[in-house]
Amino acid sequence: MNRRGFLRSSAVFGVGAAALAASLKPLLELKDFSSMEKFLQKYYREMTPADMEKVLTRITHEVERQYGLRPHVQDLKPMDGVSFVYALNLTRCIGCRKCVHACVAENNQSRSPEIQYIRVLKMPHGSLDIEKSEHDYNPEKVPEKGFFYMPVQCQQCKKPPCVKVCPVHATWQEDDGIVAIDYDWCIGCRYCMAACPYGARHFNFTKPLIPKDRLNPEMAYLGNRPRTQGVTEKCHFCIQRTRAGRYPACLEVCPAGARKFGNILDPESEVSKILATKRVFIQLKEDLGTSPRFFYYFDV
Amino acid sequence: MMNDNKQTRLALVVLTATFALLAVAFSLDLFGKIAPVHELPLVDRELLKTETWRRSYADLVRSKAELDDFDCYTCHEKGKKPVLKYDDKQQLIIPDEHSDVVMGHGTHGRNNNCFNCHDDENLEQLQPRDGRALKFEQSTMLCGSCHGPTYRDWEAGMHGRTSGYWNRTKEGTEQGKFDGPFKKQDCVNCHNPHSPKFPGRQPAPPPNYLREKTPSDSSHTSH
Repeated sequence: MNRRGFLRSSAVFGVGAAALAASLKPLLELKDFSSMEKFLQKYYREMTPADMEKVLTRITHEVERQYGLRPHVQDLKPMDGVSFVYALNLTRCIGCRKCVHACVAENNQSRSPEIQYIRVLKMPHGSLDIEKSEHDYNPEKVPEKGFFYMPVQCQQCKKPPCVKVCPVHATWQEDDGIVAIDYDWCIGCRYCMAACPYGARHFNFTKPLIPKDRLNPEMAYLGNRPRTQGVTEKCHFCIQRTRAGRYPACLEVCPAGARKFGNILDPESEVSKILATKRVFIQLKEDLGTSPRFFYYFDV
Repeated sequence: MMNDNKQTRLALVVLTATFALLAVAFSLDLFGKIAPVHELPLVDRELLKTETWRRSYADLVRSKAELDDFDCYTCHEKGKKPVLKYDDKQQLIIPDEHSDVVMGHGTHGRNNNCFNCHDDENLEQLQPRDGRALKFEQSTMLCGSCHGPTYRDWEAGMHGRTSGYWNRTKEGTEQGKFDGPFKKQDCVNCHNPHSPKFPGRQPAPPPNYLREKTPSDSSHTSH
């Protein structure tokens, strides 16, 4: 090879290498590749307690680095002899949407763009037709005459279609009935969103934005720990509260006392008594055979 | 052999050109930039509070608040029954001193006698129909004397607000890690006893759309 040939080919090679590097620039914008540890993490249901301990420490450090606040991250397990049921009194709901925002605050959902687990449908009296419903109503005062309000969130189905379609088993049903998601296992294919008849699942199209002073530091692995871009999330009955024996956030904030929650296996619980004594209750889209754990009822 | 070399060179040139074009495209953002997420306004923290919107007499006693308003006999005379006045439509005329009371309990304005619930012989007591005398703190029992089914539901936790633990600590046992006390509210924490129907209130902000609504979107929603 002569001098000229060498210079020419090295120039071409240099340009080619630079072009290759520049054309891979979008890879630089890949966020949330936080650590090798996370990349090599095991599947939730295969982790030993020691593995989980390490994962919780990793999450604690990550949250602390990102939000400057030390969280308390737990992995709470289902309690023995507990099967959760939610009951919502449609006669009482006034459509004030306080539950929507209490849920966002409790569960560290993205504020921009907005992710909300609860959608309150306004429907005309005398129908239960979702086609006729409206969820962006904003009158001066609620409740409006001639309408009732129906909050819809994850129904925690006994036969969950979202679980059936997940190609990587990143979502499953726990023993207490909660349909959980392992955010570190989700690949973001959004099949579950397509399968869910209730629109209960939400996707993080961008990196979720939570202001530091709004972060809830009481966290659970399957619950409200901050999510990353590209994963699905949904209502999990406030796993970090309910598995510690407490009521969900949406229930405690409801000014009308329309929301009731408890253990259906305990005959003394509110939900057992409601299902035993109230005459009318509905499972939303019952005909699909999803068998929700979420019941709507009326005071009759 | 020569042919191969030519093909290889051609492939290399095409590849280099492709990458160079891509590089130019990316550095000039020819494919368009990802639209930045505009920050939405945060919701008012007031909406996140779990307090009831009224405070019962029992709450006031517990928090050692001013109770002057409940001292009936600074104005009224002991042992003298107050006289109620009605207009020609049999509607109660509320005296100026009690102008904060809005009478709206029951339909058709028929529940228009203060002494259906208050005791006219001792204004600091309540009187249910069964002849008991109740203190203001015990107002829930007074409500229950008429609203039986609702009282039954309330006792079971089915009516009204609850807070705390669904997993209640069993009586006589110590609180564990995952159980605790459970709190029910009194009727008057949510209902105004003189006008118990909930007044309308402003709803919390509706969901924000990722993009502005277009006319074709709004034509789908029925109004």
